[in-house]
Amino acid sequence: MQAPPPSATTPLIVIRHVSRRYVRGVDEVHALEDVSLSVPTGHFVAFMGPSGSGKSTLLNLVSGIDRPDAGDVFVVGQKLNDLSEDELAAWRARHVGLIFQFFNLIPVLDARDNVALPLLLTHLDKTERRRRAETALRIVGLAERFDHYPRTLSGGEQQRVAIARAIVTDPDLIVADEPTGDLDARNAEAILSLLRQLKHDFGKTVVMVTHDPRALRFVDDAYHLDKGLLLEGEDAERASAAIHLAAGGGMMSAAARVGQ
Amino acid sequence: MKYLPLIVANLSRNKLRSALTGGAIMLAVVLVCLLMTMPEGLNAILEHAANNTRISVHNKAGMVYPMPYSFTRKVRQVEGVAAVVSHTWFGGAYEEAGRVTFPNFAVEPEDIGAVYPDYPVAPEQLAEFQRYRDGAIVGRQTMHKYGWKIGDRVTLRSTVWPVNLDFRIVGEIANGMAPQFWFNREYLDQALKAQGRPGLGIAGMIWVRAADPNRVNAIMREIDDLSRNSDAETACETEKSFFANFFGSLKGFVTIILIVTALVALCIVFIAANTASMGVRERAGEIAVLKAIGFGRRVIFGTLLTEAATLSALAGGCGVLVAIGLTRVLREFAGWSETLGPLSNFIVTAPVIVDGLFLSLFVGMLAGIVPSWGAARKPVVQSLHEVF
Amino acid sequence: MLLPLSYSLRNIRARPGRSIMTAGVIALVVVACTLFLGLISSLQRTMISSGDPRNLVVMRKGSDNDGSSQMSLEAFQAIRFFDGIARDTHDQPLASPELVVQPFFRTRSGGRENVLVRGVEPVALGVHDSVRITAGRMFTPSAHEAVVGRGVQGRYAGAEIGSELEFGRGTWKVVGIFDADASSFESEVWVDVRELGNDAKRIFPYSGIRLRVASPGELESLKQRIDDDPRYALEAQRETDYYAKQSESATTLYILVVGIAVLAGIGAGFGASNTMYAAVQARTAEIGTLRALGFSRTAILVAFEIEAVALSAIGFVIGALCAMGLSLAIDFWMGGIAFGARTFTTNVITLRVAHADLAGAFVLASVIGICGGLGPAWRAARLRPIEALRKA
Repeated sequence: MQAPPPSATTPLIVIRHVSRRYVRGVDEVHALEDVSLSVPTGHFVAFMGPSGSGKSTLLNLVSGIDRPDAGDVFVVGQKLNDLSEDELAAWRARHVGLIFQFFNLIPVLDARDNVALPLLLTHLDKTERRRRAETALRIVGLAERFDHYPRTLSGGEQQRVAIARAIVTDPDLIVADEPTGDLDARNAEAILSLLRQLKHDFGKTVVMVTHDPRALRFVDDAYHLDKGLLLEGEDAERASAAIHLAAGGGMMSAAARVGQ
Repeated sequence: MKYLPLIVANLSRNKLRSALTGGAIMLAVVLVCLLMTMPEGLNAILEHAANNTRISVHNKAGMVYPMPYSFTRKVRQVEGVAAVVSHTWFGGAYEEAGRVTFPNFAVEPEDIGAVYPDYPVAPEQLAEFQRYRDGAIVGRQTMHKYGWKIGDRVTLRSTVWPVNLDFRIVGEIANGMAPQFWFNREYLDQALKAQGRPGLGIAGMIWVRAADPNRVNAIMREIDDLSRNSDAETACETEKSFFANFFGSLKGFVTIILIVTALVALCIVFIAANTASMGVRERAGEIAVLKAIGFGRRVIFGTLLTEAATLSALAGGCGVLVAIGLTRVLREFAGWSETLGPLSNFIVTAPVIVDGLFLSLFVGMLAGIVPSWGAARKPVVQSLHEVF
Repeated sequence: MLLPLSYSLRNIRARPGRSIMTAGVIALVVVACTLFLGLISSLQRTMISSGDPRNLVVMRKGSDNDGSSQMSLEAFQAIRFFDGIARDTHDQPLASPELVVQPFFRTRSGGRENVLVRGVEPVALGVHDSVRITAGRMFTPSAHEAVVGRGVQGRYAGAEIGSELEFGRGTWKVVGIFDADASSFESEVWVDVRELGNDAKRIFPYSGIRLRVASPGELESLKQRIDDDPRYALEAQRETDYYAKQSESATTLYILVVGIAVLAGIGAGFGASNTMYAAVQARTAEIGTLRALGFSRTAILVAFEIEAVALSAIGFVIGALCAMGLSLAIDFWMGGIAFGARTFTTNVITLRVAHADLAGAFVLASVIGICGGLGPAWRAARLRPIEALRKA
């Protein structure tokens, strides 16, 4: 793990007038319409919005899993739409660490082997691969779980193994799709805290899609989307307030109940 | 390969399924090996025959038309002929009510060794054969079949000649695929004369060994010329051609065997493909995540295909071993049979093993191609959509 | 309360790819077994139908077939007037002296086969009344003519009416084609017995005699008289028994087929099991729901068994149809399978898949389905509703 790069001020991600449509059944869905934003290096940002807002699509574009129909996506200085499917795969392997909501881990491999998986794409030998995997697991606080199989790990622990795998190749960008979606409150907070730690201690840029209101407490920026459009100005503030209210409302009603 | 642990782990993911698939493929390969022993057995005989200089001389009209025994003398005098022996079918049945279960012939003991150097008989045994009129040299296959030993006495009842003969086994042809039973033609000749008949004045077939392979065609022409316009015109052909024609009558049967073998191979494809596609379907999520992390299409395709091929190859290897074991058991029951002739040898030779292994590996790969390619080819984003 | 049949059947339709592959494996096994069984039953049928229960085959004692037997003129002349032999309309005994020789014939494709040539006298048509001239006419004795069976026609060079057929030491003019109820006679060529004897330079003019018995009751005594005759060492047997013995070699082939069927069947069973296990796994939640609703373990077991059996039934139907089609194609393309049976003669068999063969294949397919489906059905039945629903 290295110290933050010197050019920490240039944005890691630049998205310019990006649109994405796809066909589902007989309908054509406008997932994203003319979205532009930039994410500074070393920031922890969230893409938020109701389902169908396009936040996952945006995440896929940023991580190089998908390509826009219009506009450009620049990540770490590379124009992603220029690359072919196979080139994107190689690029992802080197520059991005991915965390998903489900199916993160391969059930037939233990934690160490799961974390070492992306290293198979490098030229490192077996001992080196194991060493790095174990280091990553220690960073996420699972030093005692090297030999455990996913089925013997709790939901929170599995997600932490996934995070370890995301950082094992020392990528510039970490992308997480609903990382807390399947977890209870305590584990969710732990994961969010861990992601923030990655940004803070190692200067990683972390982009997250979530509809968890707790996320707002941990991120540097939050982008709100609705029906494929990026909300700005007043709309963005209203959306943000609505989330805070929902989160706060929940807490207040909970407090009210306790008071009774 | 560094992906091996992943592949092995995936195969042991669902042990029952891997076991059932492996078992099915193994049985299919056993079947293929057993079936292929027949055509390969024929090929082996033809190969062996192609490598020697033996010529068969028979009556042009047919195998059951004899030649006068005096003709053998004329054949001996043809230039380039190293050795000559006659074969006359005795059609002897051993115990089994009137059925011939191995080929038995009346031959000349002095010449048989020279014409068949590739059917090894120990020199002392050949000497005994020449010394004792009631001696018999028997192929190892038949010796094993009936548990005979050198020194045993056996009686054969001829289905063709009006005599039964008692023999003493004095030698063995040290070749596990040899079923024939040779005895002294003088013995048959005497037995016939003892009944007041004319004696053994004919030869069923004549076998000639040429000194020089380049002279084979010339020798054949000369022998046929010698018999032209006589009562028994001959047709000479090389041993390989003789066997090829002989097996011609089995062509139909062999074709059916090959068709069935192909069907069984197709079964293997279906079974392996089914398992591969089930695996791919169930692991769609994992595969999507692997692609997202950065494993390219070729790597994904490669590991999935290797998985299918490994299972298939392992199962095939076991199948070949089982087939070898089974044929040892079958050898007790099989051997030369009247219907199938040399087909029922059921010996798993090297070509059969290669057939079996190649089949299982190739078929496994073939079966895995479509599911693996399908899984690998899909763009990442589509895979993720389908799963999440 | 059992689950409705449509539950099992609809599940088969829901996963067409997987169902087709499994049914396909069973179909292939069915085709393979049916073909082999068909081959053997065709062989047997050819043999068995050759025998007429009213006829006796008389040969030299110790011979196992008429190709290796010899009989003198005196023996024939003595036998033909024995009591118990039927007579034709001219009061001549229905006793047919015959000479059997197996010369080389050249096939259309240049190969060489041994064909059974039977030297006969006109009375042979009376004794073997299944043999009927269907085209042309019977040969004229002393004219070096021949009539050929349906299986021979077209197979060998010159085996057509009007052509010259080469065998033995000369050429023979084909003047007729005969039919013989799909028996082995159809693979034969018939010529005049004297001319054949000359051509083959036989010392003994005949191989044996075929007799028609006057009435069934007299068969045993006639047979006995022939066997016991001290002058000639002869043996008589029913023509049906004679041919039954010829087809005994088919028993070894049956063992081969059974072996193939067992191996292939087990393999296909494993394949079917695989598919069904996967189905059970995929439908775990569904099974849990059904059990929670109140369907018994037996109901689940039966439903899955039916699914397996239905798959094998589909496989059987596909396989049976393919097998029949394939046998017709083989017949057409190869013009009958030549079987080099004992005594080196070629028997041309028309490969026909009989009902019994299909029945055998049906049994095999059913066993595959029932046994292959048993494991998975058992597992499905034993799923505890709570666990099933939780796993989902």
